[in-house]
Amino acid sequence: MSTKQLGDYIIRVDSIDKTFANGVVALKDFSTDIRRSEVVVLIGPSGSGKSTFLRCLNGLEEIDSGSITIDGIPLDENKKNRLEIRKEVGMVFQHFNLFPHLTVLRNITLAQMLVRKRPKGEAEAEAMKLLKKVAISEKADSFPNQLSGGQQQRVAIARALAMKPKVMMFDEATSALDPEMIGEVLEVMKDLAVEGMTMVVVTHEMGFAREVSDWVIFMENGMKVEEGTADHFFTDPKEDRTKLFLSQIL
Amino acid sequence: MKNSIYQFCKRNYLFDISAYLVLMIGGALLLIKGAEDQGYYWQWFRIPRYLYEFDDGRFIAGPILQGLKVTLNITWMSLILTYIIGLVTALMRLSNSLLARGIARVYLEITRNTPLLVQIFFMYFVVAPILDMDRFAAGVLALSLFEGAYASEIYRSGIVAVNKGQWEASYTLGLSTYQNYCYIILPQAIRRILPPLTSQAVSLIKDSSLVSVIAIYEMTMYANEIASETFLVFEIFFTIAAIYLALTITLSRVVAYFEKRYRVVS
Repeated sequence: MSTKQLGDYIIRVDSIDKTFANGVVALKDFSTDIRRSEVVVLIGPSGSGKSTFLRCLNGLEEIDSGSITIDGIPLDENKKNRLEIRKEVGMVFQHFNLFPHLTVLRNITLAQMLVRKRPKGEAEAEAMKLLKKVAISEKADSFPNQLSGGQQQRVAIARALAMKPKVMMFDEATSALDPEMIGEVLEVMKDLAVEGMTMVVVTHEMGFAREVSDWVIFMENGMKVEEGTADHFFTDPKEDRTKLFLSQIL
Repeated sequence: MKNSIYQFCKRNYLFDISAYLVLMIGGALLLIKGAEDQGYYWQWFRIPRYLYEFDDGRFIAGPILQGLKVTLNITWMSLILTYIIGLVTALMRLSNSLLARGIARVYLEITRNTPLLVQIFFMYFVVAPILDMDRFAAGVLALSLFEGAYASEIYRSGIVAVNKGQWEASYTLGLSTYQNYCYIILPQAIRRILPPLTSQAVSLIKDSSLVSVIAIYEMTMYANEIASETFLVFEIFFTIAAIYLALTITLSRVVAYFEKRYRVVS
């Protein structure tokens, strides 16, 4: 779809496996490589391992075997490497997870000051710039509970962006929103994609996937069923399972 | 009809207050009557001198007020220690280290399953000589360790109750575990556990009377002495009960105010 230039591989995932303590297999021999500025959308029925894959990418979940490398840094036992990856990979959650006891501004400045060691003034300037970008700068001094779901999610995106991550991950970022608020969050996500942010997106918004993504991966039972460009994927799917899924969801 | 009476009672504060007064006065009358039936002769007029005296117009604290000062000293020191011990123990129980969890577990089981009185004796007669502590320090330490065990469970429940998403968000932003606790988890947890932590402080104030057994001259110790010298048993003990009540209620009200002020809606 897009005409932007993709860079070298920034995320390399080599045959990872993940089985939860209760015996549920979340990921099975899953591999994929993602380029800089690429927007990869993961779709599939619930329980197919999409979210688990995202959570493995930044170490929120441990993988059982295989390897993950992000921007040349292996995600392994080394705590320093892990911290580095956490800093470089921003994440937006389904339920926003803003810090309820802090103002919007402080939500965005906290990690900048603690982790990136930016002085307060600089962090606040950056926060205001980002709030303006997500069109919500008038709410800087509000608390999260005074905001609508869509507004909260835009703050959450600003919070993640403030760390200047190299990769942004979205875990069903619009699933908990009222229908009329989904659009405003998707707009922000589209803008990011156009600016060349590397994005890994789990979503049920097929419109977004079709319009913005460079690559679509369809998963089921922790495995890739089919993958390809959005064009190929939505107009000419090969697998029967993919066709069935698309016919139900579109 | 029934409903309207209920509505009336619910809305009418005057009714509430008079019912309350009738109960209180009735209770007091019963108590006085009971004491008189036993031949008890009330001598409230002899109480004030144990509270305070005026010497040439100068205010002099009587033994009970001096005891109150010691009680307050024991309480605030123990309270600070209790909250620190409680927090540290809770963090140890939640940590990844097997050793830390083990130590916390043993400490909790021992302190919560033995009587405070025994712990105070143990601290005074066994631990204090080893560590060269005076009786006051022994009393404070025994109280803090006892209350700290309960406080740690309160902290733990508060920390565990913070939404898992908060941990994940601060993790993905790159915060260290220490920063996460300091800036994200504890500020939310502590606002939630203020009411039970206050009850813990109230328990502490009351339990501080137990250190009189190792001859620390706090309020209860003085009351005991005065009562055995003068036989003003009821008057003295009702008086110090009223002082304890005043302390604990004041504390509860102050905390309730802060709780309302710093409430977090998540």
